[in-house]
Amino acid sequence: MNETNKRDPRFYFSLPRFIALLRGGDTRRAERNAVEAWFVGLMMYLVHYLFFAHYLPPRLAPWQTALLLIVLAFWVWLFWLLLLYLNSVIIKLLHLGGLFRTVATRRAQSIFWGLFTTAMACALLEDSPWVREIGAIWLVAVAMNLASAVVLALSNATRASGK
Amino acid sequence: MSTSRNRLRRFAVRGVFWRQYLDWATIQMPFYTYPVLHFFMTFFFFFFAAPARRIVLAHLAIILPGSSRAMNYLRVFRTFHNYAWTISEAAIHKLIKEEFDYEIIGAAWLDQLGAAQGAIVLTAHMGNYDLGAALFAEKFNREIRLVRAPEPDQQTAEHLSASLEKSGEGAVKVDYNTAGAMLSFDLLNALRLGEIVSLQGDLVAGDLAEIRTHLFGKEVRLPNGPFVLAQVSGAPIYPLFIARSGYRSYQIIVREPIAVLRSGRERANDIAQAVEKWRQVLEQLLAKRWDQWFAFAPGFLFDERNQ
Repeated sequence: MNETNKRDPRFYFSLPRFIALLRGGDTRRAERNAVEAWFVGLMMYLVHYLFFAHYLPPRLAPWQTALLLIVLAFWVWLFWLLLLYLNSVIIKLLHLGGLFRTVATRRAQSIFWGLFTTAMACALLEDSPWVREIGAIWLVAVAMNLASAVVLALSNATRASGK
Repeated sequence: MSTSRNRLRRFAVRGVFWRQYLDWATIQMPFYTYPVLHFFMTFFFFFFAAPARRIVLAHLAIILPGSSRAMNYLRVFRTFHNYAWTISEAAIHKLIKEEFDYEIIGAAWLDQLGAAQGAIVLTAHMGNYDLGAALFAEKFNREIRLVRAPEPDQQTAEHLSASLEKSGEGAVKVDYNTAGAMLSFDLLNALRLGEIVSLQGDLVAGDLAEIRTHLFGKEVRLPNGPFVLAQVSGAPIYPLFIARSGYRSYQIIVREPIAVLRSGRERANDIAQAVEKWRQVLEQLLAKRWDQWFAFAPGFLFDERNQ
């Protein structure tokens, strides 16, 4: 005999939560969706990777370029560890200043990660066409997510006021 | 000199620094950074945790006979990657109290265990046994005593014990399995008082008593202690494993309880019969879930002691 406690899917980002709202699903925020984790994580990594790849010296031998691109993959990882630390310091300073005290640390980190990545995606718009495409996809996703957040906030306010 | 060596030991692969870093990162990391960071962290430890890598490689060679060495290196990577997810999800459960999905395979036996007056949970270094103990304590509202293999680093051991006890909200008590300790008497006493004791039955730590058997056709060592304890106390042994089945999702696998008989002078035979049943369960599980067998310390293969 088997037993399970598997629950309905829930999402973290506003866009899938808005879609869940339209489909009559659960719109509460949760961090347990594998598709979101992998998709957003890999997309973010790609944006950061392409951003730094732009600064690689041009006109190198193909093997040197290939080597640098491999090294870059690890550099982006180190950059992520640094970014995590840098954001934690900023969050600590904000908390000391009495700001964002009610926002959970991971949520605050998420805001900073979003800001950094969006800035990098903007920089990608000046690159080659397919790199520009990646930057544009990120920016459109951010815009749709923000619009969904507004709709969710309004629908929650409507529900809270009992209308 | 020794002070600076002690400081450096913090940063060793099994040093406390990495456990503390994991706790810090769990509080900080947005959940979508996990896939990428886990991949690179796995890469890092794949190169620096050479002894663990060699041990897992040796285990894979016997679990999957005939597989190439190159493929087994990739499988070691996969095992390390699963371990990264497993320990980070244990930290998430401990620090953020995030809920996990789980499926119980053998729910009737688990219910039986939950109601048992004195029982031994026999498990392996597989999946997330730390999280499993906490879930068990939570589900059945019972205390569980978890006996772990000793950690090479004292600070890591203290950190792990504190983590487990925090994760189980006081219902999980941790003991370390060391030769010569009075632990066996404590455990026997606990079983007689109706408590549940969880032991690991796949590795022999240090000079602990062992029993030789064959797994996948190769001579291996398994700990003797759990079977002797079951025989003396009369408590049944419940084979139980917690395997990761996906993102924040686990399987709790419970197998049919093993009773160790006490038939007068044939005590060794009774133990041998119980070991044989455990061996079959372990072989079946390892063949299926080799990528979640986190046996990173020696104590399994018979050959390694002779080398």
